[in-house]
Amino acid sequence: MSLPGPKAHIVRLVAVLVGALFAFLVIKEVVTPSSWNYKDWYRGDALALNSSYEAAYGGNQSCVTCHEEVNQELAEFRHQALSCESCHGALADHVKEGEKIGDAVVDDASSWQCLNCHDAQVSKPANFPQFDKEKIEEHQEIEPDMICTACHTPHDPTP
Amino acid sequence: MENSKMPDSRREFLVRLLEGTATATVLMVFGPGVMAHGPETGGTERADDADHKYAYIIDVGKCIGCGNCVRACKRENSVPTDYFRTWVERYVVREEGVYVDSPKGAIEGFEQLNKRFRDNIKLSRTVPKMCNHCHNPPCVQVCPVGATFKSPEGFVLVDRDYCMACGYCVQACPYAARFINPVEHKSDKCTWCYHRVKKGLLPACVTVCPQKARLFGDLNDIDSEVSKLFEADQWMVLKPEMHTDPTCFYIGLPREVV
Repeated sequence: MSLPGPKAHIVRLVAVLVGALFAFLVIKEVVTPSSWNYKDWYRGDALALNSSYEAAYGGNQSCVTCHEEVNQELAEFRHQALSCESCHGALADHVKEGEKIGDAVVDDASSWQCLNCHDAQVSKPANFPQFDKEKIEEHQEIEPDMICTACHTPHDPTP
Repeated sequence: MENSKMPDSRREFLVRLLEGTATATVLMVFGPGVMAHGPETGGTERADDADHKYAYIIDVGKCIGCGNCVRACKRENSVPTDYFRTWVERYVVREEGVYVDSPKGAIEGFEQLNKRFRDNIKLSRTVPKMCNHCHNPPCVQVCPVGATFKSPEGFVLVDRDYCMACGYCVQACPYAARFINPVEHKSDKCTWCYHRVKKGLLPACVTVCPQKARLFGDLNDIDSEVSKLFEADQWMVLKPEMHTDPTCFYIGLPREVV
């Protein structure tokens, strides 16, 4: 029976280290996503993932494709600079794959959408048209169910 | 006799160990992994995207605090109730101090302040808040799995497939712009509507803002609105002392806003 040589423990240690290094490299190779960006440290596929979501709001240009007539008259109106979807809701709730799936009408039973912007508040810019709620309540004393749109046209609300 | 050889072999061993460590380090850093997928294959449209230098500008003097942006963001990005990617804060500066509120992130706007409180107000403004898409984002530095990153175009994004919702980024963000999405159990934040910008649209909040208080555009395009405002050099960023170098700029930002 021969005794282990004087360098046997070193050989074993080196073997273990080489084995560990090999295992590390293999695991790293398997686990690292193929699109990994080593420079900026992220998964390249995440860009595609982040841009894959559907857009819900189409912008005014999407509304105009069907509602050209409204666009024509809106050009002279006071609310012309607004986004249609601010009041009418998102395009995705109205149209899907070219088919109408729901109405895009504004809630005309209350004035909340008008007051949402035009309610008088100290934090609003002074040149922004604002209405004192108390005055509206005075209005409503005369006619309880009175809402803004009874007198004002929402697209062109001249005072 | 053998003992006299020992110091030699120990020295040799240490030298070899050092060499081995150096080789292993080199292999790990420049190993086969890098050869297989270097940075050029990582980003898909890197060359094109680097041409853009996107910026977001918020004009505090125009904001009316209507909350259209908050509602649009909710709808566009399916943000769960009581969580916000963007929100609006109302600052009220009075003699005795500064009051800040943001009821439900201002999703329904603000109620008028009561009359007694309204007197003696020095200044009041509504300030939209969101992810500042920093050049030097603390959230990216702390992510242990590389799931949050700065895209080639400058968007700070979350890789939802790799995020493990540890919440480090939520704590690291000095602007409190991040949260853990309770439905998906992933870190969530404003993406500047990356999916919309990639389709040639503006972010949802910018689309619906009735006052044009929120602007988004490319600083490399000298004719864009943001470029002109940026050139006017009257902008401010939030928490400049954090050295995060935001790309979200504020115009008319009161000194009291943090």
